[in-house]
Amino acid sequence: MTKFIIRRVIQALPVIWLITVVSFLLMQQAPGGPQAVFNQNPHITPEQVDAWLQRWCLVRNADILQTIQEYLGWLGVYNCTGGGFLSSQGLPNFLPAFLGGGTNGVIHGDFGFSISSGQPVLSLIAQRLPATAILMGTAWILWVVIATLAGVLAAVKRYSLIDQVITILSYVFYSLPTFWLGLILIFIFGVELRLFPAQGIINVRTSPAPFGTDAYWHALFANPWPQLVDIGQHLVLPVTTLIAVSVAGDSRFVRSAMLESLSQDYVRTARAKGLPGRTVIFRHAFRNALLPIVTNIALEIAFLFGGAIATETVFSYPGMGLLFYDGVNERDYFLLMGILLIASLFIVFMNLVADVLYVMVDPRIKYD
Amino acid sequence: MALPDMQSPSALQLGGPGDGAGTEDVEVALESLSQWQLAWRRFKLHRLAAVGLCIFGFMVLMAIFGPILDPYDPIFIPNAHVPGGDPPSLAHLFGTDDVGRDVFAMVVNGARISVTIGVFSMLIAGIVGVLVGAVAGYVGGLVDNVLMRIVDVFFAIPFLFVILVASRFFGQGQLIPLILIFGLLSWPLISRLVRAMFLSLREADFVEAARAVGVSDFRITFRHILPSALGPVIVAMTLIMASNIVLEAFVSFLGFGLTEDQTSWGNALSNAQTVLSQGNWWWAFFPGMAIALTVLAINFIGDGLRDALDPRSRL
Amino acid sequence: MSEPGVPPPEDVLLEVRGLRTEFRVLDGIVPAVDGVDFSLRRGETLGLVGESGSGKSVTSLSIMRLIERPGAIVGGEIWFEGRDLLKLSEGDMEDIRGNEITMIFQEPMTSLNPVFTVGEQIAESVRLHRHASKKDAWDRAIEMLKLVGIPSPERRVKQYPHEMSGGMRQRVVIAMALACDPKLIIADEPTTALDVTIQAQILELMKRIQAESGAAMLLITHDLAVVAETVQRIAVMYAGKIVESGAVEETLLHPQHPYTEGLLTSIPSRVARGQRLNVIKGTVPNPFRLPKGCKFEPRCPYSFEPCKDNDPPLESIGNDRKVRCWLHGLPEHALPVTVAAGTTPGGAS
Repeated sequence: MTKFIIRRVIQALPVIWLITVVSFLLMQQAPGGPQAVFNQNPHITPEQVDAWLQRWCLVRNADILQTIQEYLGWLGVYNCTGGGFLSSQGLPNFLPAFLGGGTNGVIHGDFGFSISSGQPVLSLIAQRLPATAILMGTAWILWVVIATLAGVLAAVKRYSLIDQVITILSYVFYSLPTFWLGLILIFIFGVELRLFPAQGIINVRTSPAPFGTDAYWHALFANPWPQLVDIGQHLVLPVTTLIAVSVAGDSRFVRSAMLESLSQDYVRTARAKGLPGRTVIFRHAFRNALLPIVTNIALEIAFLFGGAIATETVFSYPGMGLLFYDGVNERDYFLLMGILLIASLFIVFMNLVADVLYVMVDPRIKYD
Repeated sequence: MALPDMQSPSALQLGGPGDGAGTEDVEVALESLSQWQLAWRRFKLHRLAAVGLCIFGFMVLMAIFGPILDPYDPIFIPNAHVPGGDPPSLAHLFGTDDVGRDVFAMVVNGARISVTIGVFSMLIAGIVGVLVGAVAGYVGGLVDNVLMRIVDVFFAIPFLFVILVASRFFGQGQLIPLILIFGLLSWPLISRLVRAMFLSLREADFVEAARAVGVSDFRITFRHILPSALGPVIVAMTLIMASNIVLEAFVSFLGFGLTEDQTSWGNALSNAQTVLSQGNWWWAFFPGMAIALTVLAINFIGDGLRDALDPRSRL
Repeated sequence: MSEPGVPPPEDVLLEVRGLRTEFRVLDGIVPAVDGVDFSLRRGETLGLVGESGSGKSVTSLSIMRLIERPGAIVGGEIWFEGRDLLKLSEGDMEDIRGNEITMIFQEPMTSLNPVFTVGEQIAESVRLHRHASKKDAWDRAIEMLKLVGIPSPERRVKQYPHEMSGGMRQRVVIAMALACDPKLIIADEPTTALDVTIQAQILELMKRIQAESGAAMLLITHDLAVVAETVQRIAVMYAGKIVESGAVEETLLHPQHPYTEGLLTSIPSRVARGQRLNVIKGTVPNPFRLPKGCKFEPRCPYSFEPCKDNDPPLESIGNDRKVRCWLHGLPEHALPVTVAAGTTPGGAS
């Protein structure tokens, strides 16, 4: 198993490298370029600009060679402050800092700084991570549970009224644009009925401190219930919005995987053994339907990221999606590259998890 | 494409119409129709697909003729209007917005841009996807490896993130750059499908047979393998069209898409967020419903096509 | 055959009366099994023979009550051990399935669940029906693997189906069917999917095991050679009906129904070298457009007037033999000249 995982990680390396290239080129080729944004920002002094430009090999009207240097500098292989591929200690720059390598670039954990706020990208992301993790984690669990239950139910009760209701609902929800569903939910439940809050993650008037600050976490641990209830109320509409489309699509997927499995000969064998219907469905049919479902669940995490942008922008939910939206608005290149890279790495990691899970649930697949 | 086992009871229940005697003869009768005739026959019997085709046809007609027939110019601003817009009335079926524009006119005119983006980005994605997939599957080796790693990258980067960045930075608020962006970013799904079909069909009996009688590899690719891969590709293309129509709406809603003077469904929604909190639901409701209905129709058609083009499914 | 609703005599293990199973599909109703009657005594082996689509597999699944939508059993009685299976609750039926009546399926490659070891799959029914402990059920699984001739069963029992060959898997399926000492084994084309050499081994195994266990066996096959070697009695099915039944030797040597005769003369080895192989003309009738009279009439070389409009009944012709043919059911003067002149199918062979 260890060997299998190592092999998969090695296979993922070229993809990860290509992701860095794509992220970089997307930003580098953008009209204007980072320098243009610097010039527009009154909070940044010319000295700061010069220091940053030097640290990241940024030059005006870069030619191909300078572009490559820029990329290698962002990656952390190249030392922009003199020394080329060698660090200030004369060793290869890509080595970790404690082995005498450089400190710049993403491989050394330096994702640069946000051009609009001047803060390091990584700390901006770290501030937004808890909110997104709460939103996506809750959504993911509910999504998997609801989609699986609905899909299995529809498959087992095929052609019945309940199957048709589930089918129609999933068609309808699958066709709704996520952001528009969010808008409509805000209008119905937030504005008209006033059942649930429609903005943010906490109630800023009653909360002891702004979300994500140290003071907030202290208050949360000191007296969790009011804060958790507050977050919970704020999650209802965004989570519903975020999972509606995925649940609809996946319940169809689970249904067909389950129908496929139910139609197999071994299910008939299980029934011929005299096993009760429930055992046949869950022990024999569902166990096999699980193979495609497990892979699908892990892979569609990528889909959640997209949904998170739509949801967070509509609900002004302070997560990474909103951060990314702001970044696009401000043309905040380092921030965008950082988020793209981290989100992509997470997806690559989830693909790996899917592969490993698949091998674990299917005895027919060898992982050597 | 093996015939199903005729011993099993399921073969009996699947035995279809036809003048032959017995299930096996029905098989023979069905096989003698061409693959496409059969698919068309199955598609016509698919009720949801028929509904979808009607709705989508209506949207296309609206996109072509709607602006001509509609009495209101979507950007013409009449003098009389109330702040926040009028609710739906006989004069303005879908109401008006805060500057007095007719929402119905916006929906009708928006169909033109949204459908155009959906159809053309789908075609670009289809062409590029089939080409890349065919080259990867046909040439194999290093070329295949490189192309598929690129496809992997597309699947690893959150699609919406890239669409947002690309639309904002390269879209210039214009239709054609946006179509190119949506098309050129959504082909990888198709090329993965086409390549997978190549790999599985390369060993298929009918390809082996063609090779055995001396048909060239090039001809096998274009006469035998690609037509077989077409079914899943067409289904995937309908999915891409639906998803790109939604994405365009979202991108324009965020203000990264078309400029304000071009009416797409997304642009019609761009002020919806602020407006909804004032209770003027009709602004957001009707353009959104237009998107949802179109996507629903395309999904119905896609489902119908999937069932119709799947050689294993029979009616 | 007894009156409806009255159980058959004690020595009859299984009696199927007027069984009708239909499939409701888009284009109408397919009567896959259309009034089938037969019976099976304790310890007896009966071969149910017919072409593809004749309804023999549906008959076997009907006995197990494993017919799924869009199919349904719409009429008849299935007496087993003094009880009508069609009147039992689903729960009572589950107690019989895999316990008193077990089934061996055609496709060993797909009839075992790929995600469980063969041991788990055999032990599952032992635990269910014998209420055995995990350990005892596992030991029973090893014992059964040994019984069906699988070498080193202690190792094999922990393997997954994909680690075994087709013949091996079919042995596992047989072991599964035998694990609870059934009274009736239904084998649906058990050797069709196997290589010829493996076929002979599996048939030999089934014969041995049937003899040792004393269970009755219903063997469903399209292969007359398999039947001739394995069973005591035979029933021939055509278009959802039994057309002829009797002791295997009698029936195969002196077939009384034109269809049985046609099946026999279409076996290559029975025809002298150089002679034209006799093939039954036409094909199985379209289930949506069954002939009005005898279902075999359009293909029958002996067809005459009464056959076109009236379906003949299954008549006893003595010697424990039954046949569904007007050649045996009409008074002498109604028969056409050629038949009356002594060229009945039986006489012809």
